[in-house]
Amino acid sequence: MIPAIGLIVGILLGLILHPTVPLWLQPYLPIAVVAALDAVFGALRSVLDGIFNDRIFVISFLSNVVVAAVIVFLGDQLGVGSQMSTGVVVVLSMRIFANVAAIRRHLLKA
Amino acid sequence: MAGQSKHRPAKSGRIARLRLRRSLRPHLSRTQVLLTAIFVLLGFATTAAISGTSANAILSNARQSDLVAVLDDLAGREARLQAEATRLENARQTLLGGNEYQAVTEAKRRANALAQLAGTQKLAGSGIQVTISRNLTATTLLDAIQELRDSGATGIEISDKDLAVRVVANTWFADTETGVSVSGTELHLPIFIRVIGDSSVLAPALRIPGGLVDTVQAGGGKVVITELPDVEINATVPLQMP
Repeated sequence: MIPAIGLIVGILLGLILHPTVPLWLQPYLPIAVVAALDAVFGALRSVLDGIFNDRIFVISFLSNVVVAAVIVFLGDQLGVGSQMSTGVVVVLSMRIFANVAAIRRHLLKA
Repeated sequence: MAGQSKHRPAKSGRIARLRLRRSLRPHLSRTQVLLTAIFVLLGFATTAAISGTSANAILSNARQSDLVAVLDDLAGREARLQAEATRLENARQTLLGGNEYQAVTEAKRRANALAQLAGTQKLAGSGIQVTISRNLTATTLLDAIQELRDSGATGIEISDKDLAVRVVANTWFADTETGVSVSGTELHLPIFIRVIGDSSVLAPALRIPGGLVDTVQAGGGKVVITELPDVEINATVPLQMP
C-alpha cells in the first residue's frame, strides 16, 4: 500500500517539478523505465505466486534498469542504437505481457 | 509487499487475492520504506521520460540529413525575413522623411509589385521555359505551380500553341480529354510553362524526386526545361474594378 502511494507521489512530483532530463540520459531513460516496469510486473506476479522476495525484487529492479541502459549505450557506440533500443523494448514488453497474463490467470482464473 | 516464506504457487484465485490483500496491508518496515523509495523513483522517472519526449520528439528522432534540411530551411527563412525587415525599415524611413517624390516612388513601386502579383501587367526577365509533351494531369500541374511559387517565381504563364493563360492566385486547373483546362481555357498538349525568376532555383525545384519531371516521366511523358535569359510573359488578367 505504501509503495503504491509512493508511486503516485513520484508521478505527482514529476508533474509538478517538470524535470528536464539531461541530454546524456535522454536515450536511456525511456528504456530504463520500461525495464523497471518489467521488474514491477514480475514482482506483482511473484506476490501472487507467493514467492515474493524483497531482496530479489530490489536487485532485479536495479539490474534490469542498468542492463537495459548498458545494452542501449553499447548499441549507440556500435552505431545501432535505435535498433538496439527497439530490440530491448520488444523483449521487455513481451515479458511484461507474459507477466500480466500470469497475474490475470491468478486473479481472474482466465 | 512483505517477504513470504511459504514458497508455493497459488492454487486458486481466492488464495492469490488473499496474498495480494495481505501485501497491500499498510505496515512500516525497512522493506516497505525501500520499496516506497523505488516506486517514488519509478513514478518520477516515468513522468520525466514522458515530458522529456513530447517536447522535441520530432527533432530527436529525425535523421541527420533531415536535421540539416530543417536547419537550412530555418537559416534561409531567417535571411529572407531579415531582408524583408530591412527593406520595410528603409521604406518607413523614406516615408517618414516626408519627401513627396519619394512617397510617390514608393507607392508606384508597390503598385508595380501588386500588378505583378495580380497578373495585370506584362512581364519580362530571366527565367525558365518548361515544355511538357505528354501525360500531364491537372494535379501534377498544380503541384508544379506550387513548387514554382515556393521557389520564388514572380510570374507564371501556361500556354499551348495558340492560347496563353497567366497564373495568378485564383487560377484553377481541371483535366480535359486532350490536355488541361486552366481557369476555363482549354489547353492542348504540348504545354509550355514560362516562369520568371531565379532559374538556378526554379529548374531544380521541378526536378526534385516526386516533382513534375519525376511524375510526368514515370507515366511515359517528356519534360524539357530550358533556362532562358529573356522570358516574356504577355498574357495578363483583365483588371477588375471593385
